[in-house]
Amino acid sequence: MISEEKILELLKGVIDPEIGLDIVSLGLVYKVEVNEDSINVTMTLTTPGCPMHGSITEWVNNILLKAEPDKNINVNLVWEPQWTPELMTDEAKEKLGM
Amino acid sequence: MQSNSIATAYAPPFKIVAKYFIAAIIDFVILNFLLMLNYKDITGFYFQAKILAITHLLTLGWISMTIFGAMFQLVPVVLETKLFSEKLADIQFWIFILGVIGLATGFWNFDTGLHLNASAILLNIAILIFAINMIGTFIYVKKWNITGWYLIAAVIYLTITAVAGFLLTYNLWHPYISINHLQYLKLHAEVAVIGWVTMVVMGVSYKLIPMFTLSHGYSMKSSKWAFWLVNIGLVGINTFFHFENNMIEILVSSLFIAAGIAFFLFQVYLIYKNRLRKKRDIGIKYSVFSFYMLAIVTLFGLVFSFIDLSGIPNIYLIFGYLVFFGYLSMLIVGQMYKIVPFLAWYHKYSSKVGLEPVPMLKDMFNEKYALASYYLMTTAIITTTVSFIINSQIALLFSFGLMFLGSLIFAFNITAILRK
Repeated sequence: MISEEKILELLKGVIDPEIGLDIVSLGLVYKVEVNEDSINVTMTLTTPGCPMHGSITEWVNNILLKAEPDKNINVNLVWEPQWTPELMTDEAKEKLGM
Repeated sequence: MQSNSIATAYAPPFKIVAKYFIAAIIDFVILNFLLMLNYKDITGFYFQAKILAITHLLTLGWISMTIFGAMFQLVPVVLETKLFSEKLADIQFWIFILGVIGLATGFWNFDTGLHLNASAILLNIAILIFAINMIGTFIYVKKWNITGWYLIAAVIYLTITAVAGFLLTYNLWHPYISINHLQYLKLHAEVAVIGWVTMVVMGVSYKLIPMFTLSHGYSMKSSKWAFWLVNIGLVGINTFFHFENNMIEILVSSLFIAAGIAFFLFQVYLIYKNRLRKKRDIGIKYSVFSFYMLAIVTLFGLVFSFIDLSGIPNIYLIFGYLVFFGYLSMLIVGQMYKIVPFLAWYHKYSSKVGLEPVPMLKDMFNEKYALASYYLMTTAIITTTVSFIINSQIALLFSFGLMFLGSLIFAFNITAILRK
């Protein structure tokens, strides 16, 4: 079975094209769960009400489906807890010039 | 991810928005070329054939054309609804272009009869179509936000501007306005620049600047103050300009507007101060320059409404140039450097994310060229102002040449992005 670490590694392929950082480094991925027949990803976005839910969940879905075509992929978008800049990795903060 | 929120399932096809942007950029290059070619005529008072023609190429062909395209993209996204009609957006485009060409050539030859008036009617029809398209979109909005309120107000003021514009062209054909034509022209111009254009600039900035700078944790109170103050001022302008001996009332209205713009600038400052992305890319550089210019022209405009400066040579041209180039053109160029790469990227690569390597937005155009056009344009703004002050035609030719060159590089860069 694919490990949660491996999934996080894959999700680093979902990069915000504007700032050049991936969703894992930005701290947007809250939880990854691997079951027998499914993968559940709980994640957020930097702003509530971002109307791009569709595309981002699609990107996450595409990347996981490509790696694990036999599993059900569930991407769960949550707003609690709210994202804060502190959730970013040090490397990401540095890249932004913080 | 914030940067993605300028495109969504709600947004219209890229084709429509791109068409408006391309027409706007072509117009911008042409008008800069015309300025360079006719530098000898750009002097003195503003009410002259060629100056009126070029002003409308600026306000309609460049500024409004860009705003239409941007609004078709942003309104559905920001207000989470679908654009009422893509077909209407397309029809509006062609009628509007015809109207702009007609109005510009009509002013250029100062053919104030049927030619100018028919063009003004075409523009009114195009703007009416736009207003219908927007109202049709607005009525399905479930969740309103501050940007939405600014955009509703902007559409109302655009309609007033268009009607006032037609009444003015009709007055040139068959004079009927009892008050001074130029006073009425001021109403038209102020409602256009503050009510239509600046209202959009303010509303959209509250959405785009935090997105582009990744800004977090600031109060939005000032944006509400700005909204009410500017609107009260504009209602004043719309009322008192119909009367003579209105000095005090106009002054008070102008003070309201200036205070509102100050609140807006403070709001932008708050957003900017709380940004997580410290590095200033080319789009932000342009925008920062533009906001400084907005502060300067607001002060300038306020002084203008208190003190009669008409004795100073070229003073109206300096003011107009700083508004249209220093504040508005710089903002549009800067925002296009942010929006166009994203839209083109989204159009082409969104479906490929995670499946194959996709470029980053900064790889979509040559930032060095963009920086060169930034320095050309900012230098042109300063040297044009100086040329007007010292009344030097050669210096003016040189300055218009710089801006023309800057506009060419900008057009080249955007074309490259769209082709990528």
